[in-house]
Amino acid sequence: MLEALWNNVDYVASVVLFCIGLYIIIAKNNLIKKFLGLNIMETAVFAFIIALGVVDDGSPPIMGEGASGPFASPIPHALVLTGIVVAVSTTALALSLIIRIYRQCGTIEADELREME
Amino acid sequence: MKKALVAALLIIISIPMLIAVAAMPPHGDADSPVHTHVSARYIEHGEEEAGAENLVTGVLLNYRGLDTAGEVIVIFTALMAAFAVLITHPGRGEESGPTTAALDPEPGTEPESDSKAPPPISPVVSFMVRLLTPFTTLFAIYVILNGHVTPGGGFQGGAILGGMFIALTIVLGEDKVRTLLPRRAAPWMQGAAVFAFVAIGVIGAATTGYFLGYPTDASLHLVRELMMVVIEIGIGLGGAAIFATIFLQMEAE
Amino acid sequence: MYTWPHWLPLVVLTPLLGAALTPIVSLRTRHVAPWWALGMMTVTSVAAGMLILRVALEGPFSYLPGGWVRPYGIELRFDEFSASISVICLIGWLAVLYSFRYTEWLREVPKQRIPYYYALLLLNLGGMIGFVVTGDLFNLFVFLEILSLSGYALVAVSGEHIAEMAAFKYLLMGAISSLIVLFSVGILFGITGSLNMADVASRLGDTGSVAPAALALGMLTVGFMVKAALFPVHIWLPDAHSIAPSPISAVLSGLVVKLGILGMLRLYQIYYTSGIIDLFVLNQILVWLGAISIIMGAFFAVFQDDIKLMLAYSTISNIGYIVMGLGLFTNFSIIGGSVHVFNHAIIKATLFFAAGAMIYRTGYRTLSDLRGIGSSMPLTSIAISIGAISIVGIPPTAGFLCKWYIALGAFEANQPFFGFVLIFGALLIFVYYIRMVNAFYFQAPVRQEVVDATEAPASMLYPTLLLAALCLIMGVLGRIPLAFIEPAVQRLLTPLGG
Repeated sequence: MLEALWNNVDYVASVVLFCIGLYIIIAKNNLIKKFLGLNIMETAVFAFIIALGVVDDGSPPIMGEGASGPFASPIPHALVLTGIVVAVSTTALALSLIIRIYRQCGTIEADELREME
Repeated sequence: MKKALVAALLIIISIPMLIAVAAMPPHGDADSPVHTHVSARYIEHGEEEAGAENLVTGVLLNYRGLDTAGEVIVIFTALMAAFAVLITHPGRGEESGPTTAALDPEPGTEPESDSKAPPPISPVVSFMVRLLTPFTTLFAIYVILNGHVTPGGGFQGGAILGGMFIALTIVLGEDKVRTLLPRRAAPWMQGAAVFAFVAIGVIGAATTGYFLGYPTDASLHLVRELMMVVIEIGIGLGGAAIFATIFLQMEAE
Repeated sequence: MYTWPHWLPLVVLTPLLGAALTPIVSLRTRHVAPWWALGMMTVTSVAAGMLILRVALEGPFSYLPGGWVRPYGIELRFDEFSASISVICLIGWLAVLYSFRYTEWLREVPKQRIPYYYALLLLNLGGMIGFVVTGDLFNLFVFLEILSLSGYALVAVSGEHIAEMAAFKYLLMGAISSLIVLFSVGILFGITGSLNMADVASRLGDTGSVAPAALALGMLTVGFMVKAALFPVHIWLPDAHSIAPSPISAVLSGLVVKLGILGMLRLYQIYYTSGIIDLFVLNQILVWLGAISIIMGAFFAVFQDDIKLMLAYSTISNIGYIVMGLGLFTNFSIIGGSVHVFNHAIIKATLFFAAGAMIYRTGYRTLSDLRGIGSSMPLTSIAISIGAISIVGIPPTAGFLCKWYIALGAFEANQPFFGFVLIFGALLIFVYYIRMVNAFYFQAPVRQEVVDATEAPASMLYPTLLLAALCLIMGVLGRIPLAFIEPAVQRLLTPLGG
């Protein structure tokens, strides 16, 4: 078991990072901090997917002269590029909402906002 | 107390996750399903099939083109969302169309209070940003145009351009930078990525019978490359315009 | 005509491209935007009609963008479950029409936001259509993000701080669930090397990686559960759905939460055909969560005075019915659950449209303020009553047949307890129905606005009445969707090669 964990230590790190992000979202009170937790979770997922495409002693999947294998899988890179753009879009919307909430309520602490409701 | 409870809960959740990832195919193993199934064909035939030396671009624009089309729509959604959430000046530009008031207050007609002076910026920062602007632009264009040969592409180049735009806004103030996004042209630029994708997709449907199909004939290699470059330019331009607009919109708010 | 292959990409891309063009067509005047959105939805509906005709005549078919064969490219797959785009187009079209007057009225919405409102609505509908027709796991995630992002923004569009807080809560939970979905798509890719659903289903059985497959199943279920607002991850729904503008409430409550259910159906297709994991445990969990959702949603609904909040809680209850139907995993219950996806969308849209019309005319949204509205807005009151009868499930309305099938499924699965839960939930909702009818028809008005109210304008009244009529018609003609869904459920329940 421990050996399997050690072999897949990249995946384990992603899981740990994922849970840290989730902890921040639940436990922190400030909306921006909550949002940073979400960004940590996003990073964890991207790291996980990128790690799937790694091959030992591999080179990047760019063909052309002088390129020799084994090549890393190109699919995870394409997926993560899409994922990053999605994450950027979510970030933009969340920050817009936080700006508006701060302008209207004067605070971005979750418990104070709950009292105002 | 609450925090300890949450931490304990997450540790309990993480145990099955750890067990499961430990049972995944070994990391970096060349015989794992990731490398032997779909990727194997991409690596073997991708260069001639998809027409891009950089296989990541080949996957993005050709094999999984619809994903990338969806992705540019996601970022366009973010722009629409930022507008829908952030615009707050009722009455301004009421009859002259929405984008006017949102983006480009016409000089002269604005109330005094809105044309705030740019905050003082250190001359060193200001000089460096101005100095680097042409080089950054050149680099961004290089990244966009060579996306199918070297690492890079429309999104990366667009992000560089957008970042440059934001730096310029901080240094020069928004009024000067807004002239780069003229009122009439702004929505076309923001939608450039979507339009480029749909245009190329429809051309593909007309010529090859499949949406987003590229000519596979070896003699048409240059046409295929041109189609990819058009999409990359669209993504780069659209991405940069969207990043810049969202930033301007947030700052105006 | 209907065999033209390009209807399938057209149905996805028309609303999405239409959204990208909305800011351009409304450059000169914002009054073009609603008509533009309506036109785009009309084209989409025509394409959807062709596709449904083809699937009814020929059975499921695929479209390969770029011409790459499975599993090397992305596959768009149209099967009987995808026929739910009919209800997406119907409610989407009516919601656009309904918004014509409603958005103009919303005092808080700055007028410049209106074109973006329509752009977001089109993006939301296009994302839903894409989600339903795609046959690729990662593509599913991309469309999920399009529809989620536009949904968060649409909740906040009214610009009140409560709406923005509700939208942020929705965004936070929605984004977490999207990441959970993406993580599990990554796991499935890692153990099968493929992203195409059919290919994953056929390869999953041979991988032997049971633990990762089980984790992916569990995480995907949780992710879709959040999107579907099942107990205990429903907490974002009541705020978001009651505060959004009424046409958006109808779209979110009628359609968007259903996509979580469709996601679960796709998941079942993959896991049941591969046979790698016995789904018994998951089914039991789903049945129980569904039962709790039914009771809890109905219970909270009964005690609400705010009419839209009550409808939002009733959505949670109805999602419980559908999930319970899936979890019982018998022929009858799955058919009942799948058809309830269609019917509940129509019923809930009727209710939100009618409630929106009342709020539009009077400015009040609680039952105690709306007393006596039955005499000043008779047609709208009849529509909301029909909707309420349907949601209780009294024959001959649309709600009856599905609940009947789910109850039959419970007895078929030898778990009659859940049949009683179902009936108990319906009784609870019935209490609310009595309260509402009592307030509308048998109590004297307390507000002058209610006495002075007239019927809503035609662009709001006719969509409401049309949907109310559909609630009745679907009750009588309910056998048609049942017959349509049946072969798909049969295929779902028969493992490949079994």
